[in-house]
Amino acid sequence: MLTLLARILKVLNSEASPWQIGWAIGLGLMAGLLPFGLLTLLILLLVCLLTVNLATFLLVWGLCSGLMFMFGDALEALTWQYAQSPALLQLLAQSETLQLFHLHHTLVLGAFVLGILLLLPVAWLSTVLVKQYRGRVMSKLQQWKIVQMLKASKLVQLYEKLN
Amino acid sequence: MIRKSGWLIFLTLLAAVLALVYLFLGTAIRLGMVYTLEKAVGAEVNISDVSVSLAPLTLNVSELQITDNAKPSHNTISFSNARAALEVWPALLGYYVINDLAVDGLAYGTERSSPGKVFRGPHADPADKVDFQQLLRLDLPDADELLARADLQTVARGEELQQLAKDQQKVLRDVQSQLPDKAKLEQIQADIKALTDSKIANPADLAAKAAELKKLQDSLRSERDKLKAVQEQLGQSRQQLQQAVTALRDASSSDWQKLQDLANISDGGLAPISQILLGDFWGERIGQLEAVYRLAGPYLPENLPGKELSDQPELTLANRILPLPSQPYPDFWIKNARVNWLIGGGEALVELQDITAQHEIINAATRFNAEVTGLPQLALLKLNGDFAVLEQMVTNVNWQLQGINVDSMDIGRGDTLLQLACATLNTTGKLNLVDNQVKQQAQLVLQQAEFKPSDNKYMQQLATLLNQQAEIPLNLNASGLISAPDVSIRSPLDKLLADAVLGEAKAKIATLQTDLRSKLDSELQQQLGGQSDWLSMLDQQDSAAESLEGNIEQMLNAKLADVKEQAADKLKDKLRDRLGGGG
Repeated sequence: MLTLLARILKVLNSEASPWQIGWAIGLGLMAGLLPFGLLTLLILLLVCLLTVNLATFLLVWGLCSGLMFMFGDALEALTWQYAQSPALLQLLAQSETLQLFHLHHTLVLGAFVLGILLLLPVAWLSTVLVKQYRGRVMSKLQQWKIVQMLKASKLVQLYEKLN
Repeated sequence: MIRKSGWLIFLTLLAAVLALVYLFLGTAIRLGMVYTLEKAVGAEVNISDVSVSLAPLTLNVSELQITDNAKPSHNTISFSNARAALEVWPALLGYYVINDLAVDGLAYGTERSSPGKVFRGPHADPADKVDFQQLLRLDLPDADELLARADLQTVARGEELQQLAKDQQKVLRDVQSQLPDKAKLEQIQADIKALTDSKIANPADLAAKAAELKKLQDSLRSERDKLKAVQEQLGQSRQQLQQAVTALRDASSSDWQKLQDLANISDGGLAPISQILLGDFWGERIGQLEAVYRLAGPYLPENLPGKELSDQPELTLANRILPLPSQPYPDFWIKNARVNWLIGGGEALVELQDITAQHEIINAATRFNAEVTGLPQLALLKLNGDFAVLEQMVTNVNWQLQGINVDSMDIGRGDTLLQLACATLNTTGKLNLVDNQVKQQAQLVLQQAEFKPSDNKYMQQLATLLNQQAEIPLNLNASGLISAPDVSIRSPLDKLLADAVLGEAKAKIATLQTDLRSKLDSELQQQLGGQSDWLSMLDQQDSAAESLEGNIEQMLNAKLADVKEQAADKLKDKLRDRLGGGG
């Protein structure tokens, strides 16, 4: 838990631009929502090719994958209910290549649509929050005793050394 | 914006991810299978290991055990190893097409090392539910109780008849007062006689007498009309009473039928003994097929008729495939399966082809075939059939089992325990399942059966009789909802067994039958009481009225004729005198 907190603080305090962090959160969320497959690999490729903050992406990916254990059933049921439109089914059945993305699987389709819907707002909101943090909170937070204690802890020092 | 080392990082990450997937895929599949199966069966599922090999793409599952939720110390199904070779391209598209599936060491009802957890369903042994105390209860209701329960129509119709008779008595009294007065009639008769006997002096006298005669005649006509009205009224009363009596007799017959049904004596005895002994037992055994139906439920198409009829919560897979209009492959399709089944201390080989729930895509039904010979507990087993999910889910199974050694089987419990110590069982039959509606016919023959009874005297009689039989044939039919089928079990021995074992009950039934009939007859007599006399009295009144009417008619016609003739004679005499006397 401490390592996780230190890791977040390190990223927030780093030289990475707020946009890099914001997109990392948005893409990490999308990758986390999706069951592992070709779409996940494409997102991973995008993250690697663009200068998105990798540490943040991996962190959010892991967190959101965990969330899907809790909300996966509800998302699946919702998708099954709303994805019975003949036009959509016809579109998904058009080519076998399209089916490589497994969008005809309820959970993949639901997660993909939700991820696309959340991607821009989450990326933008995250960027704004990072900017706000750096402008207003960071300097004050550095002075907090608990943060100084945290930074001085052996575990965090070890983590920073290894990192 | 573009990371120069992006490809390198991607490939490194990809390699790491693939390595992780390869390392942990087996565990992930194992967890997924356990989760899905536990949701489907409602009891603990254990899989010791799942591994994946890439070339060819093969999945190996080791030591799977599914706890029996009715008996947690045992498994419903278990196997030691299963191996499935998947086709790669369909797998990449998200469809599970298995070319060859081999299951070894499949067993039903094996004992677990420790009891499994049960999440849903009864814990009790279904065999314990056969309650013989209830089934062989000999406390028949007595005749009075049955008469009270039967809501007899005889009484109601009888009361209606009595009310009608009362009304008719009143009508009859009124009618009697309307009948012509005897004295008055005699007076009219005397007047007519005096009138007709008197001499007519002149035409004026004739006119006066004719007028008087006409007056008497009118008076007689009025009396005749009254009499006719009375006759009509009497006729109606008689008809109504006769109808009421017929209704009462019909009600009595219908009541007798109803009483027979209530006392279960219309077929001359109790329900057949084999139905009593095995009906619920067999019904529950068929009901267990529902567990298979539920296991397959999540894999069946959503729009299948009857799927929504289940009262159980609907189970769904964690990630379903949408029903695409032109699906290249079924969601899952096992082209060939070979199952090595551990049964009765030996092994059986079961072969299946085209296992899927979307038969319209492959245009073929799932077929299965099993033949086993020479097992220690079973001389021959032949099982074959097919299964297809099209507009309805249709399953056909034919079986033939010979020489099954039944070691021990408890039927009932406590006082009413009947233990089948040993027997040889032969059975043939067929089963047709359309959605959740089952239709099954089976012939079963128990040979050299040895029963051990409890202390219950009926059970002892039954066991003695059954032990004397060289073979016990049974015809078992079941139909209806698979979870609660209507089971009919008949045996040529039914009558013999019922006569012997249920002799006491039959004697009671015979007494009850006699008692009931006599009570019903007395009820009928009581309700009919006096009404027959009433009918004869009505008849008597009717004939009296008829005779009176005859008299009046006679008086009217005869006397009028006399007066006319006399007047004519006198007219003739007068004419003769005026014309010069004599002829």
